[in-house]
Amino acid sequence: MSTTREIKGHEVVSPEEWLVARKELLEKEKKLNRERDALAAERRALPCVGVEKKYIFDTPSGSKTLAELFDGRSQLLIYHLMFAADWDAACLGCSYVADHFDGALVHLANRDVTLVAVSRAPLDKLWRFKQRMGWRFKWYSSYGSDFNRDFHVTFTKDELAAGQMYYNYKVQSFPMEEGQGLSAFYGDQAGSVFHTYSTYGRGVEAFINAYNLLDFVAKGRDEQDQKPIPMAWVRHHDQYESDYFAGILASVMPGASRSAPEATPSAPPKSKAHDCCSHHSP
Amino acid sequence: MSTPATAKPHKVVSRQEWLEARKELLAKEKKLTHERDAVAAERRALPWVQVEKNYLFDSPGGKKTLAELFDGRSQLIIYHFMFGPDWQEGCPSCSFLMDHTDPTLVHLAQRDVSFAAVSRAPISKIESFQKRMGWKFNWVSSGNNDFNRDYHVSFSPQEIQGKVEYNFELTEFPSTEAPGISVFYKDKNGNVFHTYSSYARGTETAVTTYNYLDLVPKGRDEDHLPFTMAWLRHHDRYDSGYLADANKPYWPDFNDPASSSR
Repeated sequence: MSTTREIKGHEVVSPEEWLVARKELLEKEKKLNRERDALAAERRALPCVGVEKKYIFDTPSGSKTLAELFDGRSQLLIYHLMFAADWDAACLGCSYVADHFDGALVHLANRDVTLVAVSRAPLDKLWRFKQRMGWRFKWYSSYGSDFNRDFHVTFTKDELAAGQMYYNYKVQSFPMEEGQGLSAFYGDQAGSVFHTYSTYGRGVEAFINAYNLLDFVAKGRDEQDQKPIPMAWVRHHDQYESDYFAGILASVMPGASRSAPEATPSAPPKSKAHDCCSHHSP
Repeated sequence: MSTPATAKPHKVVSRQEWLEARKELLAKEKKLTHERDAVAAERRALPWVQVEKNYLFDSPGGKKTLAELFDGRSQLIIYHFMFGPDWQEGCPSCSFLMDHTDPTLVHLAQRDVSFAAVSRAPISKIESFQKRMGWKFNWVSSGNNDFNRDYHVSFSPQEIQGKVEYNFELTEFPSTEAPGISVFYKDKNGNVFHTYSSYARGTETAVTTYNYLDLVPKGRDEDHLPFTMAWLRHHDRYDSGYLADANKPYWPDFNDPASSSR
């Protein structure tokens, strides 16, 4: 699962030579940043659509409307976290995304943004899985509402059988009954809610900060040998073979923290783990 | 403490009309994603520079070499965290970045990457601040070596009166400490190579909060502020707005209406 592939024969140069190459790349990086700024401005200029339907979500404090999920702020981000009603655990790729939520919450709140997750699984399943993962963000169930269907992240058995569903703004073949994505809403002072934006597929990749950091290192994401999908290496953060924070101990006593989680009774069977193949669809 | 601007009256359209505009934007988003992939590939193709100097860092467990910070892996990301020797607490903007870093560590380890923050503050100050913030990442002090000078993230008080070398150019800079990311590779023989450094907005993609804000109607909403990050506080200080260093040594000079009113 993890990789120790060695990089062989990489060009080593003098600091002066490196600087020339680095400055050349810097210009491209700056250009990319400016393009990102321009695109964000275009995104803000998108029109919005009034949400007329009365969606009801199950929350730990009872049923809530979409307007109530804003939690007193005027902007709401909903992550469509793949967790079907009959799954035992949330999708691996979505959990990888969700691992990054908690650190952002307090900062987003101070920019008038509430970030929550919504899944189709019943609330008690979400609650148990959230406890296991140690997450603090708010996570609501859309079980029994049309929300997931309307935002194109849940597909019917017929659609699955036909291999044709509408996802990421086109009809395509998608391997599972749940898709992932992020939707943005604006709530005005009169209590009206507007859908401003949704993104799917690789559109959520910028929220996976591990990827943002991997894009700085020598091997990069290093997924070219991963089968059947680039994210095949991803596990729920409590299911990797080694405990990251025991790393120092492990380097002193090899094998010290290398327990096999599959063998422990608490670990869910691998076959029950669902993955979002969609993150890397082109 | 934040004073979010009122969102401009927005054009409300039919679903069909929205969809047309959204699809047009999607094509541009995909183009940018591919450009981002291409720049990342160019980054990997950069040549390396062998690190000859033997840097010794102060860690909670004693002295550590740069090679030891790899922690058994072959790639190391160093975050140059602004925390000067005489400061009371670390920079709020760097703290903002670090709030988004802890969750990545367990996944990065699976991709053969270790992480460490490095600051000039003495290790005792680092330890107590880290405890307050609740972070788990490895954080060492370069207070007794040339590391920060060599990687262009520390300047003398005299130097910042004029121009300093930062972000690969001579520029004015408001603080003796500067932020950045430096990346290293260690081969099987223990040789360490410097592969990459990025400064200023070069590390911005690693601030997940900004990436989220780029999706909402008000955006980052920083236009009315004296400088972009003026709204930021340490994650435990939004209610009070309190900053322990009265002179805010990490930020440009500005009149902060939030702190003067408290």
